[in-house]
Amino acid sequence: MTAVAWPLVELASRLLEPDEREAVLGDLLEAEETAWQALLDIFGLVLRRQAFLWKSPQPWFAGFSVALPCTYLLMHVSVSVTATYERLFHHRVSTRWPTGQEGFVLLFCHFFLLMAWSWAGGYVVGSASRRTLWLSIALSSLACAFCLVTFRFEPLSRFCSFLFLLPAILGVRHGVRQARFSFACASLLAVTVTLLMIFAWAHQALWVLNWVLALPAWYLVAAAWRSRQEGRTGPSWPFSPAPLPSPVSVRKKH
Amino acid sequence: MLGEFEYVLITAAAALGDNAYGAAIREEIEATTRRRCSMGALYTTIDRLETKGLLKTWMGDSTPQRGGRAKRMVRVTSKGVHAAKEFYDAVMRVSRGVSWAENQTGSSS
Repeated sequence: MTAVAWPLVELASRLLEPDEREAVLGDLLEAEETAWQALLDIFGLVLRRQAFLWKSPQPWFAGFSVALPCTYLLMHVSVSVTATYERLFHHRVSTRWPTGQEGFVLLFCHFFLLMAWSWAGGYVVGSASRRTLWLSIALSSLACAFCLVTFRFEPLSRFCSFLFLLPAILGVRHGVRQARFSFACASLLAVTVTLLMIFAWAHQALWVLNWVLALPAWYLVAAAWRSRQEGRTGPSWPFSPAPLPSPVSVRKKH
Repeated sequence: MLGEFEYVLITAAAALGDNAYGAAIREEIEATTRRRCSMGALYTTIDRLETKGLLKTWMGDSTPQRGGRAKRMVRVTSKGVHAAKEFYDAVMRVSRGVSWAENQTGSSS
């Protein structure tokens, strides 16, 4: 293999997991393959790995059932919370975003719900599609673009529709890293979210579709419960045997 | 039951013994089957067999010949040996009496 082509092969191998990259590059060097053949081998392996991932329901679930609808709903909630804030603190009423008679208590309730929904949704997306996260991000971006084009923000800023973004990113990070949390914590979060939603619903301050946003929190409860049953330390996909196994990254060196 | 390529891979790994790792198994498969074995087929099959408990893999030592890169070592488990034997027996049974197997197996007459 020529010295010029090798960096290309190394670059392509970055698509593989670190341990697998190590083994594959070593095998290619040992076999003295041509650069072209080595590239074909690496892309072939990457394609097979991707194809394997898409055979599982997790990426589809994370992208189409969580990321896409939740982003759309959370952008709605973000704008609605901002409109209420503007009315209560700056006495600016937006006719496009009617906020009813919501007071400070309901504003706080909505703000907490927005943070909790966003984090839990992000966590579910991150944990269910760690290696296919790009699809969920693409679908979320699609929902964002749709909202930015169709919503009429005046007199509010367009940026207010992204209030959910930071907690959602944090949730994704925690999900990707499989952050540990107990069944009690997950239950506390889910029950609090549900009670606050009932409270908001009772005051006619909750859109019926927003009930969908409670599902990620209950997903976390199911995941934590399953982890506890199996004696695991971190939550995992509750309805399948294993969460997207990584090829060799967890194996110890002998 | 094992697939054809799974059987070939387990057999190659078993034949190589303590020296079974990615490149060596690939070379063995290519030499015996006289067909090219892609890296993708090799490593995804190794993963599948390991998930089934038929192989065990770990990261081994690196060698200068490999540019200091570690090998992915492979060992056939007892479950793997059993599965391979089952596949072999099935092929032998199904081959009894067919013309192309007469000379090889010697058991059809």
